[in-house]
Amino acid sequence: MSQAPCHHCGEEIPKNLAIQSEIDSNFVDFCCYGCQAIAEFINGADLSNYYQHRTEKAHSALDKAPQDNQFSLIKETELYPLYVFVDNDTHHIQISLKGMTCAACAWLIENRLKQLDGVDSIHINLSTSLASLEWQPKEIDIIDIAKEIRFLGYQGNPYRADQTDIEMKQAKKTAIIRLGIAGVGMMQVMMSAIAIYAGDIQGMQQSFKLLLSWASFIFATPVVLFSALPFFKAAIRDLKTRHFTMDLPVSLGIGLAYVSSIYSMLSGTGHVYFDSVTMFTFFLLLGRFLEEAARHKSYSNNRNQQELSSAWLIQGDNQTEIPLSKVKTGDVIAIKSGENIPVDGIITKGSTCIDESSLTGEYLPITKCEGQKVVAQTINVEQNIEIKVTAIGKQTRAAAIERLTDRALSEKPKIAKIADNVAHYFVILVLACATLTFIGWTIAGSEDAYWIMISVLVVTCPCALSLATPVALTSATNKLKELGLLVTRGHVIESLARCQHIAFDKTGTLTHGQFEIHHIESDDQDHCLQIACALESGSIHPIAKAFKRTSHYSAEDLTNHTGLGVEGTINSVRYRLGNLKFVSTWANDITETSFAGLTLYLVQENKGLIGTVFLQDRLRPHSLEALIDLRKNKIQVSLLTGDTKESALSVLSPDNFDHYKCQMSPEEKWEWLNSQNNKSNILMVGDGLNDVPSLAGANTSIAMATSSDLAKVHADAVLINSHIETINLAIKLAKKCQLIIKQNLFWAAFYNTIMLPAAIMGFVPAWAAAIGMALSSLLVALNASRLSK
Amino acid sequence: MESLYLLIPIAAIFVFIAVGIFTWAVKKDQFEDLDREGQRILFEEDDNDKA
Repeated sequence: MSQAPCHHCGEEIPKNLAIQSEIDSNFVDFCCYGCQAIAEFINGADLSNYYQHRTEKAHSALDKAPQDNQFSLIKETELYPLYVFVDNDTHHIQISLKGMTCAACAWLIENRLKQLDGVDSIHINLSTSLASLEWQPKEIDIIDIAKEIRFLGYQGNPYRADQTDIEMKQAKKTAIIRLGIAGVGMMQVMMSAIAIYAGDIQGMQQSFKLLLSWASFIFATPVVLFSALPFFKAAIRDLKTRHFTMDLPVSLGIGLAYVSSIYSMLSGTGHVYFDSVTMFTFFLLLGRFLEEAARHKSYSNNRNQQELSSAWLIQGDNQTEIPLSKVKTGDVIAIKSGENIPVDGIITKGSTCIDESSLTGEYLPITKCEGQKVVAQTINVEQNIEIKVTAIGKQTRAAAIERLTDRALSEKPKIAKIADNVAHYFVILVLACATLTFIGWTIAGSEDAYWIMISVLVVTCPCALSLATPVALTSATNKLKELGLLVTRGHVIESLARCQHIAFDKTGTLTHGQFEIHHIESDDQDHCLQIACALESGSIHPIAKAFKRTSHYSAEDLTNHTGLGVEGTINSVRYRLGNLKFVSTWANDITETSFAGLTLYLVQENKGLIGTVFLQDRLRPHSLEALIDLRKNKIQVSLLTGDTKESALSVLSPDNFDHYKCQMSPEEKWEWLNSQNNKSNILMVGDGLNDVPSLAGANTSIAMATSSDLAKVHADAVLINSHIETINLAIKLAKKCQLIIKQNLFWAAFYNTIMLPAAIMGFVPAWAAAIGMALSSLLVALNASRLSK
Repeated sequence: MESLYLLIPIAAIFVFIAVGIFTWAVKKDQFEDLDREGQRILFEEDDNDKA
């Protein structure tokens, strides 16, 4: 029986799981209690329209990272005025939101918050994922507002713009104005141009032609002088660095056509090309604008994380909460159960389990006791501990990874774009041809030498050539976004097409990165599961996530035994759930079952074994099929995991991979990528902090939607729908795009080869050159539009 | 056809006014959110939010 996917997040529902709710008088299924709680909350608030309006599924509640409440920190410290603007009784704050997937999410949050008393206004900007909120602190606490956001399944953090954000915002505004002016200018010039072309064919008074030329000139001037400015600036940079990119022929084309059009308008001879100039500028700007917009979107607004972290400083018997920036080496701080560890340190009191998955990829927490080291960016999942700080900020292990990332980035191979390579030789060729033509005709004594040279330049005008690549890339980028891959760097599509080898991280990339119940061995499986769920209900250990379902029982006196298991009382009977060592004190006749994964034993005091629960990390749906498909298409796949071999083997067999590497540190991953001989054709797919150097250093990289922010910023593309098979589709599309680019370039080259000699010989009148150029650009654009089908 | 001498400049003035309004709108943050506004009309607005 195939089950419907989760009502809230659209994930596949694990077998034997029945979480149902009645929503709008229909019974619907969920993949986890998190999703159910969110859906019920939304329904309860009369906002279930969300489900009808949304165009993208929500993120699964299973993928949520643990979080600390940053609002309580700003509320209680001197940071408040930095984040909150106070106007009498009304306070104003900006909140950066995580987890929004489409316009319906913004609608949902706005409408929920508007229902609350004390919220004056709320406006959400979907492009930047920022909410601006005005509220009355006398009536409602900001912490409660943040809680409401969390109930809806999103995460909100206080936000304030830093210098880079302000500059980025300004740059975006300028880009929109440039694009708008180019668009309007193009349309106006086109109208006059059509009249002029018609006049050339059926005859027109010179005075009207002059009028229309002047009109074109007036509309084209702002386009050239303002909208096209970025191309000219880049061309000047190219000249200085002696590395020619497409910007140089583009600028030459725009500049020369514009200047010669003015000349011909004033002298009343020749032809005006204002229409070509404006259209050309508009299309190129549009391509660049879309690329920029995608890149900005993938950066989340989280630069002020550091400032908003806090720590509990221990002085004698007192604990005080202080901003992290005030913590010094040598201080002793308390790390509560469930908290992120913000610094490197040594445990001075207590023992606990640490989730180091963000650094190593190992998703099973590691037991640490007094005297052992803990590192920043990991999570304390069991007992409260105290640590002595050994390194802060830039000195921590996590910061070392960031430095490694910077190095990897600087060594990233420069991707030679096809168009730029072509451009380099093309510019030299065109300029040489034009100059020789001019010299030749002058020597031959022709008065038309200048006009013939202009014809040569216009005929060879790099319009079709420089449009050939960008239009195809723009259309492929849009299509990829529909498929679920957000491209943030321009070279991605070209390198995807060349991809021969994909290196995957395991935890969080191919798998969900958390445990789930594989099967239960017991006489009464349901009873066993119910007891286990009750016992685990108080634990924040990653194992407990597998048991997040409601139980008939409620457990008392729950105790976590670090690195062993949990113990508790249900209906005055004591139970233990944990590893063999932990339960063997109560039942010493248990034989160990071999299982690739994690085995938990449930025993009852004075009675013995009740059942055995087998846990495994869960593969993302269709990951395996996607890997097989990739290999069918002759693409090598490798696994690079920081996890131990046993835990890797438990979910993925080496048969599915060409290379199978375990227990790799972030450095080793990057070095391994570098050591491969076809490294320019490798694609890296990862999510965690430990993948960041490889993501940054790899020729092409894709980060998962649930990745750390650092991973997303350094990857070349983000897999928004988290489906591995999308990569396969993307590669296919990239190959098709490559084919279309080649067809376009071939056409441009073919056209030039035919027309250039004719133009040099003076056979092509200027108007024919202009029409030919426009038609050939149109052909190129239409060909590219085939990609979006 | 001589009317063109008048009509084209008038059209030009309108275009410049339109561009001026557009620029003003961009500077007033009207184009901040390019993803959402197009879909806003699809959502029902409840005016009696505060229950």
